[in-house]
Amino acid sequence: MKTQDLIRRLAQDTPPPPFSERGVTLATVLAVVACTTAFLSLAGTRSDLFAAMLSPLVATKTLLPASLFILSLKAALRMARPDRAPSHALRPLLLLALVAALMWLRAFANLSPDQRFAEVGAFSLSECVGFITLLSVVPAAVLIARLQHGASMSPIRSGALAGLAAGSGAATGYSLFCVQDNPLFFVTWYGFAILLVSVLTALAGSRFLRW
Amino acid sequence: MSPADDEWSVLMRAALGGDARAYARFLADVTPVLRAVVRARSRDLAWDQQEDIVQEVLLALHRKRHTWQPDLPIRPWLYAVARHKTVDAFRARGSAVHLQIDDFENVLAADEPADGLAARDVAFLIGRLDRRSAEIVRSVGIDEEPALAVGERLGLTEGAVRVVLHRAIKRMAAIAKGPRA
Repeated sequence: MKTQDLIRRLAQDTPPPPFSERGVTLATVLAVVACTTAFLSLAGTRSDLFAAMLSPLVATKTLLPASLFILSLKAALRMARPDRAPSHALRPLLLLALVAALMWLRAFANLSPDQRFAEVGAFSLSECVGFITLLSVVPAAVLIARLQHGASMSPIRSGALAGLAAGSGAATGYSLFCVQDNPLFFVTWYGFAILLVSVLTALAGSRFLRW
Repeated sequence: MSPADDEWSVLMRAALGGDARAYARFLADVTPVLRAVVRARSRDLAWDQQEDIVQEVLLALHRKRHTWQPDLPIRPWLYAVARHKTVDAFRARGSAVHLQIDDFENVLAADEPADGLAARDVAFLIGRLDRRSAEIVRSVGIDEEPALAVGERLGLTEGAVRVVLHRAIKRMAAIAKGPRA
């Protein structure tokens, strides 16, 4: 086809609706809230939720993944536009990783050797990693489907960010159920579950976010 | 912001509002720029292959035009998409693009080559396509039916019809050229 013919044809198409950050955010938050609410209404929140939340350490278990959710979702949205530099959006994520690492080290220093990994067991691990992964499936799928409407310059990185957002959103909800308040446990295993989701969505991104 | 930048942004803003004429002018205006970018990167490609890449970039601009934010200048967006798709196009062609056409380069650049397909037996070429592509080439490419209507008949979106058409025509061009490449 001659280029001028192609242009004539393209010009006849009706314009698509604009890519809307607000729409993507809304859909993702809805998916996270729906999945975790369904989970919490079946499994219940921890019985001492309100008392426990007064402890800064327990509150961080919820706040840390919640901030990761907000920041990674913002970064994923930024990367969905070709002309926005993603590097600015990635820096706060590093800061968050640093906070998590410091919490881990502080807990390691403060706890006696037999307390450090007392909660680690086959059941607690599969419960924590299993539920967080499971709860992030729908949000991850929703977010990636929405990001297809965007135009990411690096589909793998966009996919990974989508997984960070979905995984941390799921972890935020799961933290209201979880009774492991030792940072050595939750930083490690929440982190592991979130990164696992992120690796999977990076692979999905390389397939579904190309254009 | 340069005046041209302003003009392109204005055209595209109108285009996204549904002004087909502004959109056609925008695409026509950016095409020579895209052509220059592609040509600078691919001096060893035949003219028609360069033009294929230009068309791929145009299609990408078209399919992703809603990701431009109308309150920002359009050039950074335009160049980002063009760079991305040009690199993609070269990667997709891989090492198969190394053609020995240096000798013909000046000739090819000098006169705009004829459509190639027009001179050939189009029916024969269509016969070599799969059934769906053949149908699309026949109805959109030859009978000038609107892509939307054809898409509805075949259960495809308008955009998908254009992509199939674009690829089918490339395939036909390759067949017409024979096993040379």
